[in-house]
Amino acid sequence: MHIGATTDSRSYRRAVAAGRARMASAGRRPWIGAATVLGLAILWYVLTTATGAVSPARFPRPADVWSAALQLTLRGYAGGTLWLQIWYSSRLVLLGFLVAAATGVPLGLLMGMSRRAEALINPAFLLIRPIPPLAWIPLAIVWFGLGDAAKIFVIWFAAFVPALINTYTGVRTLDRTLIAAARVHGASERQILTEVMIPGALPLIFTGLRLSLQASWTTLVAAELVGAFFGLGRVLIIAAQDIYPGMIAFAMALVAILGALMTGCLGLLERWAVPWRRT
Amino acid sequence: MGRSMSQISFQSVSRVFRRGSEEILAVADVSLEVADREFVAIVGPSGCGKTTLLRMAAGLDFPSSGSVLVGAREVAEPGPDRAVVFQQFALFPWKTVRENIGFGLKCRGVPAAQRNAAVDRYIEMMGLQGHENAYPHQLSGGMQQRVAIARSYALEPEVLLMDEPFGALDAQTRIEMQEELIRLARVNPRTVLFITHAVEEAVYLADRVAVMTRRPGRLAEIIDVAPVRRAEAWEERPIEEVMDLGSFTHLRTRIWKMLRDEREAKAEAPRVTPLQRRKAGP
Amino acid sequence: MGGAVAADVTAAQGARPARGRRRGAPGVVELGLLSLGGFAAFFGLWFVVARSGVVPARFLPAPGVVAATFFHLTHDPFAGYTLQQHLLSSIGRFLMGFALAAAAGVPLGLLMGWFRWLDDVVSPVFEGFRFIAPIAWVPFAALWFGTGIGGPILIIFSGAFPPCVINAQRGARLIEPHLIEAARSLGAGHCRMFAEVLVPGALPSIVAGLRISAGLAWQSLVGAELIVVSSGVGYLMVQGQSNLATPIVMSGMIAIGIVGFLIDVALRAAEARIRRGWAGA
Ligand SMILES: Nc1ncnc2c1ncn2[C@@H]1O[C@H](COP(=O)(O)OP(=O)(O)OP(=O)(O)O)[C@@H](O)[C@H]1O
Ligand SMILES: [Mg+2]
Repeated sequence: MHIGATTDSRSYRRAVAAGRARMASAGRRPWIGAATVLGLAILWYVLTTATGAVSPARFPRPADVWSAALQLTLRGYAGGTLWLQIWYSSRLVLLGFLVAAATGVPLGLLMGMSRRAEALINPAFLLIRPIPPLAWIPLAIVWFGLGDAAKIFVIWFAAFVPALINTYTGVRTLDRTLIAAARVHGASERQILTEVMIPGALPLIFTGLRLSLQASWTTLVAAELVGAFFGLGRVLIIAAQDIYPGMIAFAMALVAILGALMTGCLGLLERWAVPWRRT
Repeated sequence: MGRSMSQISFQSVSRVFRRGSEEILAVADVSLEVADREFVAIVGPSGCGKTTLLRMAAGLDFPSSGSVLVGAREVAEPGPDRAVVFQQFALFPWKTVRENIGFGLKCRGVPAAQRNAAVDRYIEMMGLQGHENAYPHQLSGGMQQRVAIARSYALEPEVLLMDEPFGALDAQTRIEMQEELIRLARVNPRTVLFITHAVEEAVYLADRVAVMTRRPGRLAEIIDVAPVRRAEAWEERPIEEVMDLGSFTHLRTRIWKMLRDEREAKAEAPRVTPLQRRKAGP
Repeated sequence: MGGAVAADVTAAQGARPARGRRRGAPGVVELGLLSLGGFAAFFGLWFVVARSGVVPARFLPAPGVVAATFFHLTHDPFAGYTLQQHLLSSIGRFLMGFALAAAAGVPLGLLMGWFRWLDDVVSPVFEGFRFIAPIAWVPFAALWFGTGIGGPILIIFSGAFPPCVINAQRGARLIEPHLIEAARSLGAGHCRMFAEVLVPGALPSIVAGLRISAGLAWQSLVGAELIVVSSGVGYLMVQGQSNLATPIVMSGMIAIGIVGFLIDVALRAAEARIRRGWAGA
């Protein structure tokens, strides 16, 4: 496949002119992205502040977001300052996620290794799986109230499923000849598990964990929106009640940034744990 | 070969690829003329730039210096006057045999009735009757390549560019396809640029065989087969018989030797700057 | 958030390797019995725990009670409507949000796959927005649309849009380059290239994206209905929750699960059909 770099300028220009945009697969051109973001920022400023085409009551001005950021950081909002709210949300996400990983991954391994375990566990799993995690929120509130337990319970449901499915698939799609090879070399069943199956399934396990973490975060925000005492979801819903667009936008940005950070951290962990897979 | 007569003309064509910070001279100063209705085969070591040459004639790639002319016009983009047959067939998996063959005509805006007639003609010519409505994956490799060739012929192009069209076929099918192509070339002569690894195939099919050096690819020599072919009436004979003829084996062996010398040159003199290594031109 | 990566799960689920039967491997009958046992254990455990009084019936009603409530809800209105009416209004919102996301996302993705510069322009913004959990749009949904239909649709859209874009883009990008070159040298212009090469070539990926998208849309819908509307299954559940009526909450969950399952089955069938159509496998 000759879709490599065609960078010498004449042919490059001709290729692009001919609509072969894909020929220039020399990688992303980040400056274009930066320019877009800058352009949007300017557009935002022009629409809300310079011309007032968009009412600040419906869409915040840059200055509103800034003052909301200051308020949340310095004086606090919706019952706490920025750090407290972040701490509350991330703590719950991590707790829920860890519980889910600690149950989902082993169960997935078990189901992947043993047909019998799979047959036994699958029915319950099939019954529960179509129910979206967010639909557990009302039940969780009935069962556990508005505190931490309800949140962890819901996050567990959200994060458990991807962790389990991917672990299971990782084990099942493992190259059978690898296991045979290990057996031929005299590995015990236990060694096969720890030396072949787990490392072999690790890339997919991490895929599952990444999905789990993202599901945890989405679900937590939803749960906090429905009812909580602290947390970013709580900030969002109070800001909505106060009709405070600047704070809404700031809290949304926080949700996005924290989500991205968590996924990034897990990515680092993955690079460390699965050094042989470079993506 | 008069310049006014030539259909495809490479004029001092070079092509440099950039891979990271490295510059790769894939084709170095190639000049080659293919006359109207002539069948020219290009052979050469792997990676010597054969595909690159063909892609430049097709308008899918462009020279870094020099120019490529087809029908006296500089090639600027791909077009239906130069049909390409790819090694990987490149049939649309979501179209039936009939739709694949008719695609080029449809692009050209040929009305359905006329298009169907043309498609039928090529289906018959390539022996694809009964498979008109099959999808490519339901065909054997040989049949798929027949569809690809029919798709190109259906355009009635001035020029056919074929990049190792039989490379993916088994030996038996390959021979059948070679005979098929000779038959087709008699009924329906076209200007053909044909790339292959198989020296015998080149000698059997081509009027002239251009032998390329290893990278950076230049023309080592061009061997005229047409006079022998005509004198011994190869086209009237079955392929096995032709391949046994003294003249045939002589030509084949000569080209083999050239290619082997190329390989050995590689082993002996690994790093010579490209420009000093000018070999005999055509 | 979660669109692209959700693709991983389904890709993984799709890969079901044939596995030779080893010595001592369980037979079909044994596995079938175990599966039945699994079902029995699920409901049995539920029943026993509910009946034993370990957990008050107020919190964990027995399966029979939930089934009766479910049936009851289908002809006795709760929170203003019967269960079917709630479901219908949920499905209506779902369809609108999902259709909007598909109609905007698929063409955008295809164009991004084809025109590199568009990809360069859109991607950074898109990536940024993708990390906003759909449900975090709730405040703006409320601010901009009040209790109108626009609010839930905005939320559903933000859940369903990313997979549509990503899969269409990836599908277009991954089309065999030779096919595109072939089409170009056969004389296909931009329009024909789109209609006859890009769209069919990317179709399997697009449909896979639509399936993921529908799942996320349905899930975001539930989230939206918990907060911003006054009808729909989500609303029914919230009302059940504030009345501490666990059977009603559970009935809502079951209804949501069934509809979600059916949506998934339908799109899976469409996907399999397209794959079988011309890809041969
Ligand atoms: N798009 C590209 N980017 C970078 N290098 C390229 C590109 N296309 C071709 N090359 C390089 O140019 C050289 C010639 O390639 P080309 O495909 O023309 O060889 P070829 O003679 O057709 O080989 P083969 O017989 O194996 O098909 C090779 O070394 C290849 O690595
Ligand atoms: Mg080649």
